[in-house]
Amino acid sequence: MSSDVILVIVVATALAFDFTNGFHDTANAIATSVSTRAMSPRFAVLLSAVLNFAGAFISLKVAATVGQGIVESDAVTTTVVFAGLVGAIAWNLATWYFGLPSSSSHALIGGLVGAAFAASGASAIQGDGLVEKVIVPGVVAPILAFTVAGIAILVAYRIVGRLRPGPVNRAYRLGQLVSASMFSLAHGTNDAQKTMGIITLALIAHGDLPSNSFDVPTWVIVSSAAAISLGTYTGGWRIIRTVGSRIIKMDPAQGFSAQGSGAAVILAASHLGYPLSTTHVISGGVMGAGAATRLSAVRWGVAGNIAIAWVLTLPAAALIGAFAYGVSSIFGSGALGPLVVSLSILGVVLAFFGRRVARGQVLTADA
Amino acid sequence: MSTAAIDWGQLFELVWAGALAGVGVSVAFATLILGGTRAADHRRANRARVASAYIVLAAVAAFAFAGSVVFGVWVIVSK
Repeated sequence: MSSDVILVIVVATALAFDFTNGFHDTANAIATSVSTRAMSPRFAVLLSAVLNFAGAFISLKVAATVGQGIVESDAVTTTVVFAGLVGAIAWNLATWYFGLPSSSSHALIGGLVGAAFAASGASAIQGDGLVEKVIVPGVVAPILAFTVAGIAILVAYRIVGRLRPGPVNRAYRLGQLVSASMFSLAHGTNDAQKTMGIITLALIAHGDLPSNSFDVPTWVIVSSAAAISLGTYTGGWRIIRTVGSRIIKMDPAQGFSAQGSGAAVILAASHLGYPLSTTHVISGGVMGAGAATRLSAVRWGVAGNIAIAWVLTLPAAALIGAFAYGVSSIFGSGALGPLVVSLSILGVVLAFFGRRVARGQVLTADA
Repeated sequence: MSTAAIDWGQLFELVWAGALAGVGVSVAFATLILGGTRAADHRRANRARVASAYIVLAAVAAFAFAGSVVFGVWVIVSK
């Protein structure tokens, strides 16, 4: 009975993480398109949500790799997974509140690392895996995207600079429709699978699925796809505003250079087996597209805050994950600990958002 | 943790492949716009041969851009 309750809590928490992942990362796909008026905000989130949903059904290969090479597999229990998810959700909500784009995947890894560390000590963490899969891509992605988008916009201005701006802007807006769609499809394929992987791991640990194969049940695929697309449709407008208009004021050519070249960088890297964060790539690309034309075009204060959030993502999510595990374990190894933690978080979130909704201060597409 | 975990060869490959793909997509799309816009301008000015040359340029750029999109979808699907 106790393990049934833990399983239900882990599944619900994983879907909640999937939802926050969707609304947190909406900005990656649509912020530049909304900013350059390539799409209306409502159409942009609808398109992104539909493609995220479709993307979740395309492949299941990433689902089987969640946490692999970073946390020792025997240290991963359902309570560790639960605490890791809490760390990731808390960091996603905190960065959303401050309008800062940060990687949901790095937050999830941070949460799992912290919870596993609290449960089994340092031996549960594979340091080399952390360097290879989180730290190196975290450094490379924004620098590469910054440079590539900068070169791309300079070359683009050289080619189209003497043409009439009307048709050029219209064409770039059309191009953004394609690049935003690619971003959304790739996001749905990649990120929804992480939730599928977590739920499937929990079902295997609970004995509902055989441990010798990794078959994701259909209801897990459908619910994960629905959660991420619902989150995407809800739209993390604070982050959309930061990426779309607070880093630089961009024209359609800059928007396309940041997003189109960003999508190309991500997919080329993915083809080489190097998963880069869409958040790091699009943010770096936007900064590069602005800085290439004029260094002062970039609001470096905002860019600095984003960089600080990236550096803090792993340790902060790890700390929260470890804290969540610690609080859960006070109540023993049963379901009471996760139940207390999840109800406490739900209470805090409802109290906070309930008050804000009552005051009418929640940012929307029209805000 | 150590730098031994870093595969420098793969990292170098990532940098040049990412740069080539990113800049290539942008150049292809900008050339498509150039070809399309100039072709329309020259057709309006009754310069059919120049317009045809720009149409060919736009078609080549469109093919390159469409190819990059198809490759991207293939990467997503085969992931």
